[in-house]
Amino acid sequence: MLTVNELERYDRQIMIADIGEEGQEKLKRARVFIAGTGGLGSSAAIYLTAAGVGKICVVDHDRVELSNLNRQILHWDEDVGKKKAASATEKLKKLNHDLEIEAIEETITEANVFQLIANFDLIVDAMDNLPTRYLLNKAAIEKNIPFFHGAVYGFEGRAMTIIPGKTACLRCVYRGVIPKEKFPVIGVTPAVIGCIQATEVIKYIVGIGELLKNRLLIYDGLDMKFTEFKVKKDPQCEHCGHVRKG
Amino acid sequence: MSIEASIHQALRHLTNGQATVKVNGNTVGQCLNGLVKQFPGIKPKLFDKKGRLLNYVDIYVNLESSYPEELAMSVKDGDKLHITLIIAGG
Repeated sequence: MLTVNELERYDRQIMIADIGEEGQEKLKRARVFIAGTGGLGSSAAIYLTAAGVGKICVVDHDRVELSNLNRQILHWDEDVGKKKAASATEKLKKLNHDLEIEAIEETITEANVFQLIANFDLIVDAMDNLPTRYLLNKAAIEKNIPFFHGAVYGFEGRAMTIIPGKTACLRCVYRGVIPKEKFPVIGVTPAVIGCIQATEVIKYIVGIGELLKNRLLIYDGLDMKFTEFKVKKDPQCEHCGHVRKG
Repeated sequence: MSIEASIHQALRHLTNGQATVKVNGNTVGQCLNGLVKQFPGIKPKLFDKKGRLLNYVDIYVNLESSYPEELAMSVKDGDKLHITLIIAGG
């Protein structure tokens, strides 16, 4: 049940026929795990907080550096040197204090990933390296948790939504490994992609629209175009090949 | 056989800045070899020393993944190839 305050706060999105009060209640009950509070995580977290997702957990083990501030908009000048997870939750709570917003200052590893994602309905992949993305992808499949992928490089961004057992997973699409690198990026790119991830999350929670299922969306900010590639579930995939359509 | 190959942004400095290049071939592999003939500097960004496609390079034919056939996948006149690289920044 939405409160009088919530009805007013979310009035403009409740006006969207596909959302309505019922959709807003679904958002209020949802529990979203955001892996990373960098460029993608900042953008996704802000809009999921503004939309009224009831419980948001942000996970990041890094500290804020000056060179983060061109894109990681949850972190400001005054935050340089602070833990990113704490810096992020501080802003998110100021944006919407009605929500349950949790910070976890840990590195996501094989040893803790299942414990970290337990009790969450969705995972937003806002990481900055492939090994942790693969780790989360595999854990999401094992635990049957939808996984919302995003990645950026320069003016390019990508997004894809993974529904375990039903769609191609990240490992079906990417088989390679690239070393963790210092990558070039302009802040508007993760802003766009983080918003696309947040849009996908909202649609999934409310149960509306067409998700990026088996569709790898590539955004090219330089040419200002979106290209959509069809991808398929790989029966031999080492992460999801054993998972049958539910 | 005229195939249009779209070059990933991160590789365009190796194709004189060209976003698309016309290549010829009956398979993805032949098309990529044709691309390498035009722009030899791109070879180490696509293939390992044994001539295998690097595992962080993904080829799409008419917007569909070429995996698992990849280099052996047939192409025909008018097809469009996208040469992409994995990205992982956040």
